[in-house]
Amino acid sequence: MIRRWSGLPAAQPLHRLLLWAAAGLVGGAFVVAAAPVSLVAAGAYAAAWQRGWPPRRLLSAAAWCIPMVLAWLIGTARSAPVSGPASLAAAPWTAWIAFWHLLLAGSVPRALATIAPVAIPLGLLAGAAAWSYRIGSISSGAGGRSPASAVTFDQRQWRHQVRAARARIAAPGSVPLTMPGDLLVAGATIRTVGHVAGAVAAIGYQRIRSHQVIVGTTGTGKTTLLLRLWAAFMATALRRHAAGLGDPPLLVVLDCKGGAGARRTAERVRRVMRESGARSTAIWPDEASLSLWSLPPRQLTTTLVDLIEHGSGSAAYYADVMEALVALAVEAPCGPPSSTSDLLTRLEPGWLSLAYAAAGSPADHALIAATSRHLTDVALRFRTLFRRLGDGLEGRGGFADADAWYCILEGTDEISVAEGQARALVDLLASFAVRSTDRREILLAVDEFSAVSRRLPIWQLYERARSLGLAVQVSAQSWQGLAAHEDDRYRIAAAAEGGIWLLRTPHPEPLAAMAGTRRALDTSRRIGRFMIRFRQGSSRLTDVPIVDPALVRGLDVGQAAYIYRGGVTYVQVKRVVAAPPAVARVPSPADARTTGPAVRQGGRPDGPAPQPTSARPGAPGAPVLADASSVLDAAFGPEPVP
Amino acid sequence: MARADGTAAAALIFTGEMYGVQLDQLAVVLGAGSRGVGAAVARWRAAGTAEAAVLGPGPRWVWLTRAGLASSGLPYRATPPGLARLAHLRAATAVRLALAATPQYVHAGAYWRSERRLRASLGGRLGLREHVPDGEVHWPDMGGVPWAGECWAIEAELTPKTLARTVAIMHELLTRTGDYGCAARDVRVAARPPRHARAIYVCSAAARPVVTRARDAIGPLATRVEIRSLPDGALLPDRPATTAAWP
Repeated sequence: MIRRWSGLPAAQPLHRLLLWAAAGLVGGAFVVAAAPVSLVAAGAYAAAWQRGWPPRRLLSAAAWCIPMVLAWLIGTARSAPVSGPASLAAAPWTAWIAFWHLLLAGSVPRALATIAPVAIPLGLLAGAAAWSYRIGSISSGAGGRSPASAVTFDQRQWRHQVRAARARIAAPGSVPLTMPGDLLVAGATIRTVGHVAGAVAAIGYQRIRSHQVIVGTTGTGKTTLLLRLWAAFMATALRRHAAGLGDPPLLVVLDCKGGAGARRTAERVRRVMRESGARSTAIWPDEASLSLWSLPPRQLTTTLVDLIEHGSGSAAYYADVMEALVALAVEAPCGPPSSTSDLLTRLEPGWLSLAYAAAGSPADHALIAATSRHLTDVALRFRTLFRRLGDGLEGRGGFADADAWYCILEGTDEISVAEGQARALVDLLASFAVRSTDRREILLAVDEFSAVSRRLPIWQLYERARSLGLAVQVSAQSWQGLAAHEDDRYRIAAAAEGGIWLLRTPHPEPLAAMAGTRRALDTSRRIGRFMIRFRQGSSRLTDVPIVDPALVRGLDVGQAAYIYRGGVTYVQVKRVVAAPPAVARVPSPADARTTGPAVRQGGRPDGPAPQPTSARPGAPGAPVLADASSVLDAAFGPEPVP
Repeated sequence: MARADGTAAAALIFTGEMYGVQLDQLAVVLGAGSRGVGAAVARWRAAGTAEAAVLGPGPRWVWLTRAGLASSGLPYRATPPGLARLAHLRAATAVRLALAATPQYVHAGAYWRSERRLRASLGGRLGLREHVPDGEVHWPDMGGVPWAGECWAIEAELTPKTLARTVAIMHELLTRTGDYGCAARDVRVAARPPRHARAIYVCSAAARPVVTRARDAIGPLATRVEIRSLPDGALLPDRPATTAAWP
């Protein structure tokens, strides 16, 4: 009879309704019976929704409850009249019974304390399962009432996640610069896809020792991110060096834009580096200088010839003549030139003949005779070049003189000069990396290098750096700013083994595509009136991009997407705040232009430039102190020898 | 008699400024022997201005009572020296005594501003990261020494801190521009001269390497850091002295 009734078409909806009602009643009764667990699960679910946590976070919290559960089980076993596995197995049931008895007796705190060791971990697990199911169903398109539910849910969760990340970076001490395990912390994690989600976004030290690419338009927090990475690199490398795990660090920044903004950034870098433990920061060419003439003769010849722009076609002949003359001047029997004036003297008529008269080979004499009529032209070109390059390469110092170098190239104002300077600086750094006995872990950061890369393609720099064991960090304002040609851009991005940092940029697609795709479930459902979705539909596996270009395009200031090995972590970057300078620097044209040692502040590259004396020590313009050793020696004896 | 009263008053203030003083160091201040200092302390105790007790190794410690602080005009809270700080207090007192014994100090009329006074001027508003030196030495402008007009921060270092902490303290001492107790915005102002022209680190053998490394690490500020060894008798003795030597 029942079977016949249930077979009727009109009875089927009623049958389904009854089943739903029965299931609802049973479920409701279970939720009420397991009220403590239900409450914790609801709270965990609400917290995860509100803070945008991944389900893994709730599972982790449940795992952290294990010590509490163990302690509770041990306590229960000890207090039980008959100890044994049976009493332990019955402990949750006993606690549940005791909870209801105490609750009905009106002893709420005792009831909660009794059930807490069971209810909290179980509730967290239940909350994680529910939250995971919700995320899965929404993201696959199976959940939600409206077809737009997935989009709305994602946008809302993004807002929640950003809010939580901002709160984290605002909390003092919650985002350290570095973490144990040589981790460099960039900021608070907003969201991850394909990466392990942690509260803070950290990368390993070895990643910053690999090539990285940073792309973001002006005002998106690129400098803030770079400063943080540099500071973390310096602090970690110094700690590793102190522990005997690596060589001391050397950070070389090429700021290819120049101008007043670069100088402000340089001061920030100096303060941040000091707080990170760097002994000294040199700002080139304003306060420190390098010596181009310290290059080995053959390298010096190549660099000098490359600094001069040559034409193609028939002009190649003159390039060859110039190279021959420069090689003769640099590799003369009396040794390489020690300064610009020395080189220019060698390019004067008659000098080469005299220099090679005694020790030169017949080939040298023939070459001098053949090319001497071009000497005046070559000397003129070099005189012009050195006048434009300035005296930044005329000092006596080298990269070993400081822990960090901030090199300002006027790529915006004088492109050809900046191109020459960049070429010379890279050659000097390469020579330092290869030949110096002072081994360093070098990070070369180039900001807007495309502005000066016409004569030194950046991919060439990458490949040279790879062979020299130094890491290169390239930053640009856009995908197009990475290099002039599309092939070069892809080559740079593909070589970024340390990851790609993507800030807001109008054209993120090529870099976003570098992260690849992931398999995801795509569900289509039948839609009825008023956009209400029915349960009927179909699902299929599809490839979706790991990095959503639209999301990158809408990133706020200080937010970045870190792409690495088929995954992405969205980061709210924590700003590195350095102490303000103790004494305001009084700019002096003289201190910026004087030649001499690499470091122009009494042997220390860091800090304000030497200034004239005045009555009050430390006052702007007078840090010179009187010798007080007489009183100190009288009181405590002479300074002990370390 | 008048001179003796003046010396006793100065010793009373000295004791109050330094939180507490051991009898051997107090004897130096009073310019008296063991009997003389014992008698002076007995008089102070009888008058209710000071208390004395053996708090740790070495001679007895003397500190001012509430009445003693009030009679000396010192606005501090009366409390015996903390046991954990005894070694440090002794070292700081030894540094002060060694400096005060130099002719330049006497001739220039320099004066010592103690840590207790600096902390009192903060009025309980000590910031979480604010560091107070163990003392300041002020050299009056007309003192007749080349460094007249300077204020020195004095640090007595007994045990080595971490390098980072030492660097941070050095940097803070040398970059501070405001007095202790000034408004927060004046603590460090870019265009103003630093408060401490120099930082004098008087170190034990154990602390000296870290302090030296910290000085090397602070860049150009290092020219304003002087490192010296603690004077003899600055450390607490290993075992308590007999009461026969110091009552």
